[in-house]
Amino acid sequence: MSCTCFIVPPDVLKRIAEDRTLPDDVRQAAADTARISVEMRKLRTQAGKLTSVATSVRAALPQLAAAPAVTVYDCKHSQTLPGTPVPNPGSAADPTDKRTFKETTGVADFYQKVFNRNSVDGAGMTLMSSVHYGVKYNNAMWNGSQMVYGDGDLAIFIDFTNGNDVIGHELTHGVTQHSLQLGYTGDAGGLNESLSDCFGSMFRQWEANQDVNAADWLIGHDIMGPTAKAKGYTCLRNMANPADKHCLAPQPTKYSQITPGMDPHYSSGPPNLAFCVACKTLGGKSWERIGQVWYRSLTGFGPSPNLKMKKFADRTRTVAAQLYGSTPAVAAAVDKGWKQVGL
Amino acid sequence: MAALLLLLPLSTRDGSRWGCSESPAQALAGKAESVDRLKIERVGGLAGFGLPGSHLKSRGDVAVSELSPADRHAVDALFDNKAMPAPGMPDAFRYRITRQTSQGPQTVEVPEEHVPMSLRNRVKDELD
Repeated sequence: MSCTCFIVPPDVLKRIAEDRTLPDDVRQAAADTARISVEMRKLRTQAGKLTSVATSVRAALPQLAAAPAVTVYDCKHSQTLPGTPVPNPGSAADPTDKRTFKETTGVADFYQKVFNRNSVDGAGMTLMSSVHYGVKYNNAMWNGSQMVYGDGDLAIFIDFTNGNDVIGHELTHGVTQHSLQLGYTGDAGGLNESLSDCFGSMFRQWEANQDVNAADWLIGHDIMGPTAKAKGYTCLRNMANPADKHCLAPQPTKYSQITPGMDPHYSSGPPNLAFCVACKTLGGKSWERIGQVWYRSLTGFGPSPNLKMKKFADRTRTVAAQLYGSTPAVAAAVDKGWKQVGL
Repeated sequence: MAALLLLLPLSTRDGSRWGCSESPAQALAGKAESVDRLKIERVGGLAGFGLPGSHLKSRGDVAVSELSPADRHAVDALFDNKAMPAPGMPDAFRYRITRQTSQGPQTVEVPEEHVPMSLRNRVKDELD
C-alpha cells in the first residue's frame, strides 16, 4: 500500500477514497489517512485547549524538570517529523546536531537566567529539534511543539542552525504560544514575528555579551550563503533599519504602512524598529531593562490572540513605568521607540 | 495558383515571415499546454520569500498530466475548497498555486502542509 505523507483536507481524502476510477491502494491509503487525520486534528485542537488551560493555572502545575531536557532528531533529508533520535547530541560528530544542542541549551539558559522562565512553557517542557529537514530546505520553523531546521541550499543560505538568533527566534514562538498565544495574521501576526526577532536578537547579543551599540541588530546574518553575500546581502532583516537595501526582505518602518493581509515577516518591521530604538535610546544591554519590559508585556497578561500593536505598545509603556518607576528614562525610551514608528 | 495559396500558410507555419508570434495551431497547442500547467510560488517562511520588496523568490510549474491521480484530486480539492485553510505554523511556507480555467487564471494560497510533495518539489529558490 502506498503512503500519502502530506496532510490534505478531509473532504479531499473522502473524495479520493470514494473515487472508483482510482486504484484500490490509492483509495485505501486515502481512507486510512482520513481516519488518522481526524484523530490528529482532534489532538491538535486539544493541544491548543491544553495550552490555554495550562497557561491559566500555571501556578498550580508541577514542573516537568528544573531545566528543560534538550533533544535532537535527524530527518536525514526527509520531511518526516521528528526523524530519528540523535544519541548524546552534545557530543555528536555531526556539527549540526552538536550546534543545535548547544544553542538550544543556550536559549534555555538565557530564558532561565535573564527572565526566570523554565523552558518555553514555563514548566520545563522538553525542547525538541529536528535537523537536516528536507533537501536543500531554505527555512526553519516552530510547528507548535518542536523546532525544525533545514540545511539551506548552500548558495543563498547555509545551515539554518548556524544562526543562534534563528534558534532563539524559533524557540520564542514557543514562548509566545504559551503566553500571549498570538495569532498569525494581522497585527497579532506581525507582533508574533517581531517578538521572535526581538528575543532572538537579544539572545545573540547576550551570548556575545554585547551592549546595544556593539550589536548589529541583524537577523539571519550568520545563515547567509555565498551567493547572497556576493550580491551584497547581509541579513534577512535589520531591526535598526527595516528598509535596509542590504536585507534579503526589507520591511516597512511605519505602522501606517501596514495593511490587512500582509505577511507577518513584513509587518514585523515597525515593532522591530520600536524595540531597537528603545534599546539604543536607553543604552546598556538590551536584555537588562527594555528586554524585561518586553518580556513582562509578553508573558504577564494572559492570552490575547488578536492583540493590536497599539495595545501592545501602550502595555510596554505601562510596564516600563511600573518596573522602573524610579528611572523614567526607561519609559521615555520605550515611548520614543513606538513614536518613531507612529504608535 | 490556388494550390499555392493554400500551401502558403503551411510554408509560414513558424509565423516569423508575417510577424506573428504563433500560428492558430501553435496558439491552440500553447493554450492547451498552459491549461495543463500549474504555476507554483512558495512564499513566506522565516526569510520572507515573495514578500513585497523581497529579493527572494521560489517558483516553478508542473503539468497536471504529470501528477498522479491522487495528487490531481488533491490539487482540485485545494481549488474547490471554499473555506480558506487556517494560517500555517509560525515561519512555515505557503504556496500560491495558479491554474488556467475558461474564466481565466485561478489562484489559491495554502499552507505547505496541504500541498502534495510532487508540487513542493517543483519550486526553485532564486535570488534577484
